[in-house]
Amino acid sequence: MASATGRSASDDIKAIESSPYGKPGEVISETTAPTGTLSITDEEILPSGERTMTLNMGPQHPSTHGVMRVLLKLDGEMIVECDPVIGYLHRGTEKLGEIKRYAQITPWTDRTDYVSAPLNNLGYVLAVEKLCGIEAPERAQYWRVIMGELARIASHLVWLGTHALDIGALSMSLYCFREREIILDIFETFCGARLTTNMMEIGGFSRPLPDGLVEQVRNFVRIFPERQKEYDALLTANPIWMARTKGVGIISPEAAISYSLTGACLRGSGINYDVRKAEPYLVYDRLDFEVPLGEHGDTFDRYLVRMEEMRQSIRIIDQALNHVEKMDTPLMAWDSPYVIPPHKGTMTTAEDMQRHFIWTIKGFNPPVGEVWQSIEQSKGELGYYIVSDGGPMPYRFRIRTPDFVNLQVLPHMAQGAMLADAVALIGTIDIVLGSVDR
Amino acid sequence: MSDGTSRDTHNQNQDGTIGADHSPETTRANRPGETYVGSSPATDTDQRSEGAAHVQELKPETDDAGWGRDLFFAEDLQQHPAVRVLNEQLPDAILDVIRFRNETTIHVRPELYREACRVLRDDQRVELNFLTDVTAVDMLRLRTSPRFDVVAMLYSLRNRVRLRIKAGVNDGQSLPSLVPLWNGANWLEREVYDMFGIIFEGHPNLTRILLPDDWDEGHPLRKDYPVRGWKEFPVYNTERTVPRLRTRWTGRGV
Repeated sequence: MASATGRSASDDIKAIESSPYGKPGEVISETTAPTGTLSITDEEILPSGERTMTLNMGPQHPSTHGVMRVLLKLDGEMIVECDPVIGYLHRGTEKLGEIKRYAQITPWTDRTDYVSAPLNNLGYVLAVEKLCGIEAPERAQYWRVIMGELARIASHLVWLGTHALDIGALSMSLYCFREREIILDIFETFCGARLTTNMMEIGGFSRPLPDGLVEQVRNFVRIFPERQKEYDALLTANPIWMARTKGVGIISPEAAISYSLTGACLRGSGINYDVRKAEPYLVYDRLDFEVPLGEHGDTFDRYLVRMEEMRQSIRIIDQALNHVEKMDTPLMAWDSPYVIPPHKGTMTTAEDMQRHFIWTIKGFNPPVGEVWQSIEQSKGELGYYIVSDGGPMPYRFRIRTPDFVNLQVLPHMAQGAMLADAVALIGTIDIVLGSVDR
Repeated sequence: MSDGTSRDTHNQNQDGTIGADHSPETTRANRPGETYVGSSPATDTDQRSEGAAHVQELKPETDDAGWGRDLFFAEDLQQHPAVRVLNEQLPDAILDVIRFRNETTIHVRPELYREACRVLRDDQRVELNFLTDVTAVDMLRLRTSPRFDVVAMLYSLRNRVRLRIKAGVNDGQSLPSLVPLWNGANWLEREVYDMFGIIFEGHPNLTRILLPDDWDEGHPLRKDYPVRGWKEFPVYNTERTVPRLRTRWTGRGV
């Protein structure tokens, strides 16, 4: 009887009779059993006679958080050598910065580290303000702090979710992205965009704050500590989590300084360097917060440092909101020639429209000179270096991204580690490949 | 050495870089509810307590020996501690000192670039022990020679001050690498080589990093490199497939 697939029952019987496993019901003796071709001895592991094997991890590996390739030389399960290969997402942001006017570069900084875009904007506008010698009003500075700290929490939530996902705690990513959604809603209320926000402007904020923003942020500050206790309960004392992170990827303080690490990678090794404390920008010197430090410099310590940073961020947001809630001063340094003219009046009076139009088309000419501005981004120290020749576009626009520099330490950490820990090591550096490759 | 988990084999390796002492008694996670905040938690029994030497108090504003932190921001640039130290130990190194927006830049001779950085790192009076950044600027449109400025940003973790070291090199001229001083200079100098074509002598692996290994179009951040590259790219969609709309106002297409 022919079946629907065109194969008859007799075909199946023939296939069974010709199989090396014998006919149904036949007793397979030692002699008729098929022998496998896999035989591994210690002397000769690979056909080439070598003991080590090269494994190519990525560039489309989900645990590399983007497009990064890691060449691993393995001896059994142990990593002998590790070589990260980057550049798959290189878009030439620094070259593009040289042909854009100062106000046009802000959206490009969103695209470098796209999970904490407001902080990238912040570093850039602070650098331009330093170059021009202007300062945003106090109220705008407080709002910059609030939005920056929210972005830090959002970035840490993405890190925590994906890091735990790599190691095997699948449900963490769901909880983390649930809270990140609230932050993105706040960003949407504030500026209309969720991911690439283009939020900060040179000189402050040119538009009034939307209604209900303070309540939204207050709501987040109220519910987030409760939610973070859930993460703690799921991970911190979890035996599997501890087994996968404790003693993995240890960086000594000397190595951390030598590799120019910043952020939680440096503070996890016990070195007290936070740009917000060391060189206070905005109003961080008026806010009360602490810098968490690790002891052992391993993956678990860096996890604890980042968890504590989120709690400190909530403290900062709470204080800044208390300061700024009743404030009714302007949000923009309107007197300066370097800031965008007011939108108000552009549709009714010709002069206002001309001023606005010319500023937008021609830009402005900052003084000749060069500045460096670094801020504490979620992943470490983010530095902008701008060389101005007096023209409307930067002569040189340099972004020192933290994760590009931090990623160098991966071969140092991975040497002698297990293959299964490679994903934990990549996750603990907290990289975003858009920021690494720029 | 270990707490008896599956990390046993992992902790015992040759160089001792992997393998921390996480005995169950000292594990913080076994004491839930305890806040993990502190300035310097390293104890005497910690095997890496020497690392705590980097966590120190700020230097006082005025020092007995005249090496206070405020001198880094003094009006007189010759009073800057880094300038004084370099003048003392490498008398010919400094070419120029510039202050702009409270940031100090020291131009040094290219052949003494690494030595100057080594002196500034090791001297206890300035202790610029942290390399923040290495980059370069193509000065093609601003001056004739030297063509490039290699910029190293140094930072002092104890004094909390920054310093910019600049060394000018021409095209084809090489510069001593900073990798013997800081491992972190490795990728930063590879990026400078990739983007500007500046050779760093003594670099262990000076290859392209962000661009592909077989990139044959030169170094993109040079000023004579066009933004769209040297290659001709095919241009698509030059012919209009949909006729233009005529607007009522202008009478021509929009």
